[in-house]
Amino acid sequence: MRKYFDVAVIGAGHAGCEAANAVAKMGFKTLLLTLNYNNIAFMPCNPSIGGPGKSHLIREIDALGGIIGRNTDLAHIQMRALNTKKGPAVRALRAQTDKHLYQETMRKYLEKQPLIMMRQGEVTALQRTKDLWRLFLNTGVSYEAAAVIIATGTFLRGKVHIGSLSYTSGPQGQHPSLALAENLEAQGIKFKRFKTGSPARVRKRSIDFSKMIEQPGDRLAHGFSHWLPWQPRAPVSCWLTYTNERTHQIIRDNLHLAPLYSGAITGIGTRYCPSIEGKVADFPQRERHQVFIEPEGLNTDEMYVAGLSTSLPEAIQDEFMRTVPGLENVEIVRPGYAIEYDVVSPEQLLRSLQLRDCPGLFSAGQINGTSGYEEAAAQGLIAGINAGRYLSGEEAFVLGRNEAYIGVMIDDLITKENYEPYRIMTSRAEYRLSLRQENADLRLTDYGYKLKLITEQEYEAFLQKKARIQEKLAFLQENYLTPDSREAQLLQEETGVNLQQKTSLQQVLKMPEIKLPLLWRIFNKEASPGEEDEVVENMIKYQGYLEREEKMAQRLLKTEAKKIPATFDYTAVPNLSAEAREKLSKFRPETLGQAGRISGVSPADLTAILIWMTRNNQP
Amino acid sequence: MNELDTIAAISTPPGEGGIGIIRISGEDAAQIGALILRHPSGRKITSWPERQVRLGLVMSPEGKFIDEVLYFLFRKGRSYTGEELLEIQGHGGYQNLKKILNSAIKAGARLAEPGEFTKRAFLNGRLDLAQAEAVIDLIRAQTDLAHQVALTQLRGELSTVIQRLENSLFEILVPIEAALDYPEDEIPDLEREQVAQRITALCLQLEELLAQAAQGVILREAASVVLAGRPNVGKSSLLNSLLGEERVIVTPIPGTTRDFVAETIDLDGIPVRLIDTAGLRESEDLVEKAGVERTREIIKEAHLILVVLDAGEELTAAEEEMIANTKHKPLIILNKTDLPTVLSVKELKDKFPDYQVLSVSAKTGDGLAALKEAIREALIGRRDFEEHPVLVTRLRHKEALEEALANLQSVAKGLSQQQSEDLLAVDLRAALEALGRITGRSVSEEIIDRIFSQFCLGK
Repeated sequence: MRKYFDVAVIGAGHAGCEAANAVAKMGFKTLLLTLNYNNIAFMPCNPSIGGPGKSHLIREIDALGGIIGRNTDLAHIQMRALNTKKGPAVRALRAQTDKHLYQETMRKYLEKQPLIMMRQGEVTALQRTKDLWRLFLNTGVSYEAAAVIIATGTFLRGKVHIGSLSYTSGPQGQHPSLALAENLEAQGIKFKRFKTGSPARVRKRSIDFSKMIEQPGDRLAHGFSHWLPWQPRAPVSCWLTYTNERTHQIIRDNLHLAPLYSGAITGIGTRYCPSIEGKVADFPQRERHQVFIEPEGLNTDEMYVAGLSTSLPEAIQDEFMRTVPGLENVEIVRPGYAIEYDVVSPEQLLRSLQLRDCPGLFSAGQINGTSGYEEAAAQGLIAGINAGRYLSGEEAFVLGRNEAYIGVMIDDLITKENYEPYRIMTSRAEYRLSLRQENADLRLTDYGYKLKLITEQEYEAFLQKKARIQEKLAFLQENYLTPDSREAQLLQEETGVNLQQKTSLQQVLKMPEIKLPLLWRIFNKEASPGEEDEVVENMIKYQGYLEREEKMAQRLLKTEAKKIPATFDYTAVPNLSAEAREKLSKFRPETLGQAGRISGVSPADLTAILIWMTRNNQP
Repeated sequence: MNELDTIAAISTPPGEGGIGIIRISGEDAAQIGALILRHPSGRKITSWPERQVRLGLVMSPEGKFIDEVLYFLFRKGRSYTGEELLEIQGHGGYQNLKKILNSAIKAGARLAEPGEFTKRAFLNGRLDLAQAEAVIDLIRAQTDLAHQVALTQLRGELSTVIQRLENSLFEILVPIEAALDYPEDEIPDLEREQVAQRITALCLQLEELLAQAAQGVILREAASVVLAGRPNVGKSSLLNSLLGEERVIVTPIPGTTRDFVAETIDLDGIPVRLIDTAGLRESEDLVEKAGVERTREIIKEAHLILVVLDAGEELTAAEEEMIANTKHKPLIILNKTDLPTVLSVKELKDKFPDYQVLSVSAKTGDGLAALKEAIREALIGRRDFEEHPVLVTRLRHKEALEEALANLQSVAKGLSQQQSEDLLAVDLRAALEALGRITGRSVSEEIIDRIFSQFCLGK
C-alpha cells in the first residue's frame, strides 16, 4: 500500500507541532512523526514561556493562527506582565506552565485535527524520488510526502555531557536521532555543532522556601491568545534565592571538570543561556547570581532551578547547590547537563525555511540554530505555511523586518553567520515601536486569514475589534476639550493640566501625564475590554515615532523589492570586494536588502550588483 | 538603499558664475520642487509642464525667500538620469546655490554622492552599455577614495573624538537595552538625572564640533563678509582697495550701487567673499527699495559685517542702530581718514567699548593690512590650522553631527518628561546611527555584544 501524505513533519516538538497544525489548517494531509509519543511538545528546559521578544513572537504566531499561545494559556500556572513601566514596545508576558499539562493539551488538540496523522517512529533516511520524498522508518515502514519539514530540535547526533560522563542521547534521557543525521549529511546538507544546557531538577520537599523570596504571579486581564477566552488560574508562586561566594568558590575549584572548560565539548554555547560555571568564570566581580525555583507542574514534586544550568559532575552540582540559601538539603531528581547537537548551517536556508538545493525540504526550530520554544514555534509555523504554499505552487510567505519579530528572526538567521544559538531580543528589532505585542493581530491577522489559518469566526471577531478601534480613534480626533468646560475642569482636577485653548482629545492624549481611561471617564464612555484601549493609546501617543519607523520601513521595502535571481553569479561581477564576493556566494541573498545586511557587504558592493543585474537584464 | 532616494546637487563647477544649476533627481523631484518653489506671485506651483522653462522663487521650507530662478522638469524616462529630474537655475555664487541646495535637502532630498547622477543614468539605461565598465570603475574608485579618506580620518582626531562620543552613548544605551530585554535580571535602574547630565555634556561637545564645522565650511567654501553703511561712506572704494583693483563704479551720487557687488579674495588662505550692499537708506526709488530689502536679508546671513563710517561726518542715529542691532558683532570701520575728520576712533571706542574699531583710508591704503588681519581673526579666530586642524570639514559629517545633536536633544527632553525607556532608546540609537555614518560602526550588533559583555544575563 502506498502511504502518501502531502507533508511529513519529522519531530513533534514546538516547531513540529506548529508546522503540522499550519499545514493541516491549509487543507493538506499531514504526517507528524515523533521519536516518542509520550513526549509531544516536550519542554526539556524551563517550564516557562514568554518574556520580551519571545512574548512578541507568541502573539504573532497566535495572530497568524498558530497554537503556542492558546496552548500556553490553557497550561499556565502563573502569568506575569513584564516591563509594564518601560514603554509599550517592550511590554511582555511570561507564563509558567505545567509541563505535563502543556504536553497533554497539545497532544489532545493535535489528535483532534482530522488531517493530521501523528505517530511514533524514527526516520532514518530521506530519499528524493522525482517530485516526492520518501521517508524510511527504522522499523522498515516508509512513507511518501511531497514536502518534508525537519524539526528535530537537539536530537540530531545529540550528545549529553555531565562532568567527564558523556553519551549519545537526546535531551533528558531521550533517544537521539543518529542515522538521519548521517543520511542528510550524505545528501550534502552541511551541519555545525551547537551546545546548550539545562540545570538540575530538584525535589520540592527538600527545599526550604522560608529562606527564599516569593515571586507571585500577576492577576491579568488577558493571556497570550487573541482567540481563546482568557481563563486565569490561581497562580502558583516561583521562588527567588541567590548564589554566594561559597558557591562560586566551589565552581571555580572544579572548573577543570566542566566539559566546556576541559575541552570535551566542541559545540558552541550561547550567551543567552549561560551555564553557572560560565557566569562565574566570565563575571568574577559578581558577588551573587539569581536563582529562580520554578515548579515543573502542579502534579509533580520536581522543581526547575533556573540560573544554575551546569554540566559539572553531579557530585559538584550537589555540593554547590547546597551553599544556596534554601537549598542546603537539596535532593537532585535529575542532574543538570550540557547537550551538543547538529544544526543546519544557515547559508543553506531560504527565507521560506526551505533548504536551497532541496525542493520541498524545509527545516525549522532548534535545528536551524535557535534557542527557545518560541523561536522554534515561529519557525515551525513559517515552514508549515511555506510547505503548503510549495504544494500549491505559490510564492513563499515572507514577513518583513518591519512587520513582525518573526521576520526579524528569520532574516537574521539567513543573513548572519551564527556563532551560537540565536535568541530573539527586542533590541534586534529596528521597528520595535511598531512591533508591539498588543497590535500583533492588527499587523498579521489579515495574512492569517488569507492563508486559511484563521477561521471565519475568528476573523469576524477581529474585524469587529478593528472597527471598534477605528471608532475610538475617530472619536478622539473629532472631539475637543474647551477651556472652562466641565470636562476640562475634571481634567485639571485629576491631572493638573490646564488647557489654554480648544484642544482635540487626540492632542490631549499626547500629553505625557494623560492616560486614555481618564478621558473615557471624563466623557462617560466605557473603557474597552482586552487590549483595544492600549492599541488606541499607543497609536496616538507614539504617532511621531511610529511615523518615523514607517518612513524607515518604506526605504526597507524598496530594497526588498529588488530581487536577486537565484542563479546570480557573484564571481562574474567585477569590482566586488573579495569579502563581499565570498559572503554573497555563501549566503546567496534573495533580495538586495538582504545582501546589504550581510556583514562585509558595503554599499559600493550593492551598487556593483545592481549595475550588473541591470546590465544583464537589458536586451 | 541609496539608489532609491531622491538626490540633489549643485551641478555647475564651484566658483563665480552668472548662473548656477541645482539638479534634483528621483521619484520625489517634483514633490520636493513643490515644497521649495513658488510662482513669482508667491502662489504655490501645482502644474509641472514638462521641459518648459518657468520663472519662480526658491523659498526655504520655512517660507523664507532665497533666490529668483528659472526651473524646468523632466519626466521619468526623459531626463539624463532617467528619473524625474528638476533643474533649477539660480544666480551664481556658491553661497546662494548652497542655500537652494540646502532647502532641497531640508525638503527631503539627499545630498548626492560624487558620480551619483551618472550612476543613475546608467542604472536606468540612459547610458550606452559600452560605458558600463567605466562607470563601475568610476564608482569603485570614488568609494575607494572615500574609503581612504575615511581611513585617514580614522587615524585622525575626528574619529577619536567621535568614537569617544559613541562610547559615552553606548554606556548610556546599553544598560537601558539590557534592562528592556532582561526585566528579571539585576540591572540598575535608569537614573534619569544623572543620564540627563551626561546627555547635556554630550550635546555641548557636539555643539562645539558643529561650531568648528562652521569654520571648516568657511575654509572650504568661502566666508561671506558684508560691507554695510550709509550711502557714499566709501564701501565700494573700500571693496576695491581690498580687491586691489577698480571694479566697482564709484560716484559721489548716493545710491549708485544698486545691487550687490561680490568678489572673492584669498585672505591669507581663507577664501572671503566680499559683498558690497546697496546704500542702506530709505528711498522712494522702487528698484532701490528692493535692493535695501535684500541688503537686510544678506546682512542676516553673513558671517561677518563691516559697518563702514565716514570719518568726515557725524555718527547718525541710523548708523548707531545698525552697529547695535547687527546679530554678530560687526567690525566698525572708520573710512576716509585721509580727509579732514570729525569722527575719531577714540570717540567710537568710547561709545562701543566691546567693539573693534579700525581706521582705514580706502584711497591711500592706510590701515588695510590691519583690517585684513581683523577680518581673518573675526572669522576663524587665532586658530593655527597647521597645529590644530579643523576636524569637521565635510558637509556630510556636519549633517550627521547635526542629526545626532537633534536626537540627543530629544533624549534630554524625553528624560525630563519621564518618557519611557523604549522611546529614549529610539533616539539614543538614532544618535548613534548618525555618528556611525562617520565612523562606520554598526550599532545594533554592537549593542548586543556590549549587553552580554557588560551584564551577566539569562537563566
